[in-house]
Amino acid sequence: MNWRGKLNKYLASAYKNWIISKRNIFTVFELFFWPMISLLSIGLLTRFLKVDEGMGSFLLVGAIALTILQVAQIDVAYVLLFDMWSKSIKNTFIAPVHSYHLVFGALLFGILRGSVVFLILVVVSRYLFGFNFLAGGPVPVIIFLAGVFATAAVIGIAVCISILTFGQKADVAAWSLSGLILLFSGIYYPIDVLPASLQVVARAIPLTYFLEYYRSVFIPEPHNLAVGALLAAFYLIAGLILFDRAIERARRTGIMLRLSE
Amino acid sequence: MAKQAVQANGICKSYKGFFTKATMVLKNISLEIDEGEIFGLLGPNGSGKTTLISIFSTLIYPELGSLRILGLDGQKDRDQIRKLINISTAKPNFPWSLTVKENLRHYGMLYGLYGSGLARIVSDQIDAFELNDFQDMKFEDLSTGLKQRLSLAKAMLNSPRLLFLDEPTTGLDPDISLKTRLLIQRIHKEQNISVLLSTHYMPEAEMLCDRIAFLRKGEIVALDTPQNLKNHLGLGEKVIVQFLGQVDTAEIEKVPGVLSVSSVPGKAEITIDRNADSLDRIVKLFARAKILDISIKEPDLEDVFIELAR
Repeated sequence: MNWRGKLNKYLASAYKNWIISKRNIFTVFELFFWPMISLLSIGLLTRFLKVDEGMGSFLLVGAIALTILQVAQIDVAYVLLFDMWSKSIKNTFIAPVHSYHLVFGALLFGILRGSVVFLILVVVSRYLFGFNFLAGGPVPVIIFLAGVFATAAVIGIAVCISILTFGQKADVAAWSLSGLILLFSGIYYPIDVLPASLQVVARAIPLTYFLEYYRSVFIPEPHNLAVGALLAAFYLIAGLILFDRAIERARRTGIMLRLSE
Repeated sequence: MAKQAVQANGICKSYKGFFTKATMVLKNISLEIDEGEIFGLLGPNGSGKTTLISIFSTLIYPELGSLRILGLDGQKDRDQIRKLINISTAKPNFPWSLTVKENLRHYGMLYGLYGSGLARIVSDQIDAFELNDFQDMKFEDLSTGLKQRLSLAKAMLNSPRLLFLDEPTTGLDPDISLKTRLLIQRIHKEQNISVLLSTHYMPEAEMLCDRIAFLRKGEIVALDTPQNLKNHLGLGEKVIVQFLGQVDTAEIEKVPGVLSVSSVPGKAEITIDRNADSLDRIVKLFARAKILDISIKEPDLEDVFIELAR
């Protein structure tokens, strides 16, 4: 198989997610409604509390990061969720595909949707709250978004593993796991305010480091981007290996068949 | 010697829930299917047909036993096997909001098809399965028969050498079922692919299959050609006599070669051994009655099924 054939095995998931999204009116909610609710509520809170510019940027960076993370992670999770809901999982796994084909294709579409949301939020936060997200130039933005998308991929993979391990009831994980990120990775507060034991958890999440890095553009603070990048790479590789193992386990236990019935 | 599409030896499979005991669904299944053959799997509900097809198609794995598919190792060469096989199942399911064409395109991409080659294969399948008028219809809007045709079209995207059809006509109207069977026959003839077909419908098995295995409670209880199964099971021919008057059925039962007799007033069904010369003697026992009609019915697979499913 030449490179175009190999590439298409990745693009198949992006193609499916794209078609399903464009036919679903509720995509508007995922792309515009909830992101705007999130940004506006945090932006208005900063006004009500009369926070200074630094604190305002801290909160808005967190709000934007969480929103993009949620959009991109659900796209990765959708790669199995759509198949599970339509009971067509066996049609996917009868084909010669691996976890990486499914994840990277879906992530590509997630990056596309996440980038659209990001641009909308950047424009809105600039004009409504005077916050220039791009003040640090393009490189920090690209690094920050890469960290958010990598974390999103890891969460999406975790959802897929849950589905293949626990069956249909596990789809609740798709909406729950990003809640843990909200709690632990310093979205709306520095992780120093967490109890010491929970700070260990926070330090194990790549997004924590990417948030600290990007906030340092607005409020100079020390950060450790390299650790975040290494953690993201580690989780991605481990996640893909575990996803493949979950597929094999689902084939051994027969869950693969039950998810198609 | 014919090459084998499937060589299975000692296949065992059980299912176990978190809090439930393991249930053995396949017990020591061994069989060989020749390349180019249409092989039928028959058996009552829960006999293990779908599980066996799922194992042969590498969708799920056996606990014990060895498997070779198209000469490839069922454990080491699974990726290679998946390129050469495909499946179509009863009550097919696909992503709801994708149209016929988009579904075929999506699954074609999963097989590494691309560009004009992908477009041509999708178009060919749409033509072959007469889906032209429905190609832009969403899956959720298709009738059951059209969904089945889409499923067969999807199964042909990668030009498989071995095709698994799991109850492909279940839930279809009789005329659509017949069309689907003719379609399967045509695919097999034109492309010379091996087919493993499970079905509940005996006419379907009789029409399509070169050989048949009967599964009961996870075990193969008979394996042969449809004709040999009928012959070897000694089911006999059924002589159906409609008459006026009285007949002593006990006397008929005593006739050498009579396997069983069932009667209601005016009608007797007598099963006889086809090799025994008993028909003449039976007719003589109806001397005191007036025979209105007499017919002889060969056993069909339905009879075989009922006999083996007991």
